[in-house]
Amino acid sequence: MTASPAEVQVTVSERPELRLIAAVAKKEIADAVRSKWFWLWAGAFAVLAAILASSALPGSQVAGFGSFGRTAASLVALAQIIIPLMGLTLGAYSLAGQRETGALRFLLSHPISRTEAFWGTYIGLATALFATVFGGFGVAGVIAAAQGGGADAASFVRIAILSWLLAIAMLGIGLLISTFTASGSSAIGTSIFVWLGLVFLGDLGVMGTAVATKMPVSALFISAVFNPVEAFRLAALTAFDGSLDVLGPAGQYAVDSFGESLDVLLIAVVAVWVVAPVSVAWWRFSKGGDV
Amino acid sequence: MTRVGVLVAVVAVVMTLVVVATATASASTQTPLQPLIDAAAPGSTLVLEAGEYEGGVTVDKPLTITSTGGAIVDGHDVNSVFTITAPDVTIDNLTIRNSGDSLDREDSGVTSVDVPRVTVSNNVLENVLFGIFLRTAPDSLVVGNSVGSKDVETARKGDGIRLWECEGTVVDNNTVNGGRDLVFWFTDRIVVTNNTVTDGRYGLHFMYSDDARIEGNNLSDNSVGAFLMYSRRTHLAGNIMANNNGPSGYGIGLKDMDDVMIEHNRFIANRVGVYFDNSPWSVDSKGWIENNLFAYNRTGMLFQPSVSRNEISMNTFIDNTEQVGTTGSGNFQGNDWSVDGVGNYWSDFAGYDADSDGIGDIAYYGQDLYNSITDKHPELVFFQETPAAKAISLAAQMFPVLRPKPIFQDDNPLVERPVLTPLSTSASGTSARELVAVSFLMLAVGVVAVAFPSRRRRTANPTEVGP
Repeated sequence: MTASPAEVQVTVSERPELRLIAAVAKKEIADAVRSKWFWLWAGAFAVLAAILASSALPGSQVAGFGSFGRTAASLVALAQIIIPLMGLTLGAYSLAGQRETGALRFLLSHPISRTEAFWGTYIGLATALFATVFGGFGVAGVIAAAQGGGADAASFVRIAILSWLLAIAMLGIGLLISTFTASGSSAIGTSIFVWLGLVFLGDLGVMGTAVATKMPVSALFISAVFNPVEAFRLAALTAFDGSLDVLGPAGQYAVDSFGESLDVLLIAVVAVWVVAPVSVAWWRFSKGGDV
Repeated sequence: MTRVGVLVAVVAVVMTLVVVATATASASTQTPLQPLIDAAAPGSTLVLEAGEYEGGVTVDKPLTITSTGGAIVDGHDVNSVFTITAPDVTIDNLTIRNSGDSLDREDSGVTSVDVPRVTVSNNVLENVLFGIFLRTAPDSLVVGNSVGSKDVETARKGDGIRLWECEGTVVDNNTVNGGRDLVFWFTDRIVVTNNTVTDGRYGLHFMYSDDARIEGNNLSDNSVGAFLMYSRRTHLAGNIMANNNGPSGYGIGLKDMDDVMIEHNRFIANRVGVYFDNSPWSVDSKGWIENNLFAYNRTGMLFQPSVSRNEISMNTFIDNTEQVGTTGSGNFQGNDWSVDGVGNYWSDFAGYDADSDGIGDIAYYGQDLYNSITDKHPELVFFQETPAAKAISLAAQMFPVLRPKPIFQDDNPLVERPVLTPLSTSASGTSARELVAVSFLMLAVGVVAVAFPSRRRRTANPTEVGP
């Protein structure tokens, strides 16, 4: 009943065709726009961002100081929680959920390779996440500006782009989870555990270890920064604060030892997390297996 | 302007003997200023026309040196540009530039030696080591100057304004950027108003200067907004201290300060709003901190645990990562967190006000598990504002067994945020237009990214699959 991977491979050309990847991506975006999750996430992110922007102390009340810095800081905290959840569950559910409904089998019965199907799905979801993140930041930015917040538009855009990079890094991890799990529900469950680990347990673990072992600040910084969510936070903080020296001795250590290259280091960490998990997921998906 | 024209104008205004500098300085040559000073009669007014003049001068008689605008006095990077050795000298409306860079000689834009009543007003000082340095010049005026600094490393910088034994001096409406400190030594009854000090080390630095009045200043983006040391009865009101960060990073630091009164100031986004280091110092003195705003600081108020005898009431604490903290653990007590039954407003107060008297019916406790951990393990400040740090604090709120001992309590917390009175200092908010444009653009790009591909789905998509 199930077509073997070998048979599917026979029907398509060796090199992936961009046209087909684009077709799958478009289908994925169309699905996203019609689905509840997209509007739920986009709506939740925009509403929360808007609430944060509007609850900042109005700039006029604290003459000489705009509320923008605080808005940006709150948005980073929000992004840190909600964007990994969004990216992980979305990625995890995509392949596993389609496998469960038979949609994946139907898709691969067309003259299309697994590579094309995979990257089409990834690009489609990445675009949907882009719309969610930029829509949310756009709404927050308009409200922050209406509050009379002193504006640093460039760093605001930087934080939005960093948030999207975090989102697609999490999407990659989600897709990787998807290649391991049979059903949509177990994929979602696994992704929530991974989310808990990245957002809470990772930091708590480093804190606990630091207290228990009297870890030097260099080790504390290095072990924290491996976490993509931490790397994102620190990169976003440097984007609007300019420096990490407000973060106590460990932040001071980071500023002193990396200086100007700190930004590069943090973005490199995020970039590795964007590229690595999705590549492994692609490799696992394209080598065959049950659909 | 003709020679006659200048004469007529100045005589009409000043009614003193006037010497007019008529030398027309060309672009390449500078007029020596010392001969003009030597030629002027004591008590007269020397009006410089636009042009460049050679500095490094000594003013040894009562004299007013001013300009019709555009007069530049150049020190050629040697010694001080103006040295004042006579009382009642006024340096007004000049551009003063290029002092020497010797910290030993204390090269300055304008300096004075043991003479009273020096006036330095409305000048622009550029590339000077020390800007205005007055020694034993009581009853002087330093008003309306704009002071820059030399572009050297912090350790080699001089002070923007330094006063030594200048009792009763007024320092008003100056703008100082990038120097070391505005520092006042042994200068009692000084009035420091409406100045803006940015990008320096200590915005204001008081040493052994009693009875100072500090009002309406904007001290932002310095290492420390105002560091007050060994002085008594200092009154600070209506100042803004914002974005004073870095390793020290205090809005105000108080070191051995007796009977200080801090009211109606705004402490915003500093590392620490007010730091109490052994203040008040003598046993019969106190400290009053009233009606201030502490918002978005890493720590609103930071105390050495041994500090006591401060009365802290009617302040507004908004979303400081740590509202009130102590350095290390110790028995922190003896400060009053409410006065005459009125406490402070705390943005994280979770109580209620059943009798609607504006005072919470239960006390506000300064107890936060994450903050009590960072007091002992400062390296964990690295994780401030992360979901993990919030989770630690939340866990302690939900499970009393985890709750730390409160470091203080406010028995009468305010439930409504006090209304902030407008400040005299001007707002410096940048235009939000750019942010609006960028935000709309981001929104549009986001919408187009999904709307454009999904619009053509019926022709491009061979695999129409329901969700």
